[in-house]
Amino acid sequence: MFEWLHGGKSGIAHIFQQFGQMLEDGRHTFDAASNALLGGTDPRVVRDDLYATDRRINELEQRIRREVAVHATVKGGADITVCLTLMSLVKDAERIGDYAKNIFDLATDCPAFHEGPEAADLVDLKNRTSRLLAKVRNLCESQDIEQSRSFVEEVDDMLSECDKRVSALTKGELEASHPVAAALLYRYIKRVLAHQMNIVSSVFMPLDKLDYFDEDKESR
Amino acid sequence: MQLEKPPHMTDADPGRPEKRGGADRGARGALAGANEKPTSANPLRLILVFALLYAFLVSIKLMETAFKGMGSGSADGLLAGVTNPFAGLTLGILTTVLVQSSSVTTSMIVALVASGEVTFGAAVPMVMGANIGTTVTNTVVSIAAARRSSQFYRAFSCATVHDVFNIIIVAVLLPLELLTGFLSKSALWLSDILASTGSSGVQYKSPIKASVKAGGKQVQELLEATGLEGTWLHVMEVVVGLALIFVCLRWITVHMKALLINRIEHSLNRALARSGLIGMAIGALITVSVQSSSITTSLLVPMCAAGILTLDNAYPLTLGANVGTTVTALLASMASDNPLALAIALVHLLFNVSGIMLLYPVPSLRAIPIRGARLIALLAVRNKLWIIAYVGVVFVVVPLLGFILFK
Repeated sequence: MFEWLHGGKSGIAHIFQQFGQMLEDGRHTFDAASNALLGGTDPRVVRDDLYATDRRINELEQRIRREVAVHATVKGGADITVCLTLMSLVKDAERIGDYAKNIFDLATDCPAFHEGPEAADLVDLKNRTSRLLAKVRNLCESQDIEQSRSFVEEVDDMLSECDKRVSALTKGELEASHPVAAALLYRYIKRVLAHQMNIVSSVFMPLDKLDYFDEDKESR
Repeated sequence: MQLEKPPHMTDADPGRPEKRGGADRGARGALAGANEKPTSANPLRLILVFALLYAFLVSIKLMETAFKGMGSGSADGLLAGVTNPFAGLTLGILTTVLVQSSSVTTSMIVALVASGEVTFGAAVPMVMGANIGTTVTNTVVSIAAARRSSQFYRAFSCATVHDVFNIIIVAVLLPLELLTGFLSKSALWLSDILASTGSSGVQYKSPIKASVKAGGKQVQELLEATGLEGTWLHVMEVVVGLALIFVCLRWITVHMKALLINRIEHSLNRALARSGLIGMAIGALITVSVQSSSITTSLLVPMCAAGILTLDNAYPLTLGANVGTTVTALLASMASDNPLALAIALVHLLFNVSGIMLLYPVPSLRAIPIRGARLIALLAVRNKLWIIAYVGVVFVVVPLLGFILFK
């Protein structure tokens, strides 16, 4: 009876469940779009699924915002930091879906991209990004600080890798049959990585430092 | 929602968190505590709530006995000694504004009617006044949003829809009641049915009433042990009874809210997209749970201010709160043997249900409180002095003048 009265899961736990769904959907859209570009899957096959999943991500973002507002109203100041953090994190999760669509547009515009010499490196980068995306939900739920730090450090190195590749493409130092599309893809993957890094960093970063970045590594 | 953005138009780089400067190693971040179980849920609270409920009933019994002991006409308190219906109405408003709780007012009315100090007929308008007076709380809450016009418009219209609805139903149902007595007659008829045991004809002896009576007797003996006697003893009984009502209702609200916070949150989430009867049921259930319509209606104000709850969907929740709050008086009536105590509590319930039946089913009538609230909110947004004028006139000046003129 007491359990029934209490209403089971707390509001925040319910919100987190939906946030986890957003992250899984984000990974799904990223995989679907990058497979169309790098794996040679016909974009028409994945289009409907990708757009439907992205719409679900957008709806989840709005639902989470509403539920966060209700939670803050009912609970008052008790969970205010978590509420504010979630308002920030859902934006990061939603952007992953947006970048997946940008990648999908590249697949539509550049159907032969996967045949170029630059594809192999990007496939590896894409696989590593997808593998990391799969960890985001668990890290947010477990709140394991050490693992979250390792995750962020790994992503940080991958961000530098993306920057170097874009720079090399700009300077013509990297062999590519579709240099513009390759540069854009590095950029999109970098953004997907950075957004998932922001999400995981909230496990150990204080609220005011969320989204904080300093290009000068030495000062960090 | 931005969709496909060209790369040169993307947002600022979401950035890289600090490795060393941002947070100490091992320090917990912004998400800390998100997956922790809430500590507010404790079965002991449930036991405490039942204890408080018992104490609340004892306080009603104590006041009833005290008023009886003081004798007819001697209870010159805030609610007693008023026979004119308009004076009763305004007194109900003023008392509720003063104590910030219609539950306290209606509980006092139940005790006064049970003692015979206030007649059943005189108490009916007082109950209606309590219904209006209670709406001031969420109106005051909405003023917190006054700095941002769009938010304030939504918050103030959400708060005042309760006021407008309650004023309209009093304006219609009070004259109707004075002409026909339909509320009091229905309540008396219903209380007769509820008080009797039907065909068997055997009088049912309530164990709750018996234990409340015993509790009241013990408190009386405690007060007598202080050496007080006669009128002073009864005055002290009223003071203690009133204090107990305040404390019990306050703590019942606090503990029930803590106990049911997840369920309230789930219900409100469900109510965001619902209107009509489901919204009313949710509003009533939340109010019954926390024993306070002000809590329910005040929760709606920030949600409306944020724009996540529309006025159309907040409106039925508010009406549900109106019905839900009548449970307090019904509970209070359990303390008394006088069937009129139950009858006056039923008047509160029937009045609110009749109000809904009168205005809600017909769409054009249903829209009147919403339009009225939007108009008041628009005026308040254009000139903030309207807020002071509205709250002052509706909840202080008019009731005060009415009481002075009609008493």
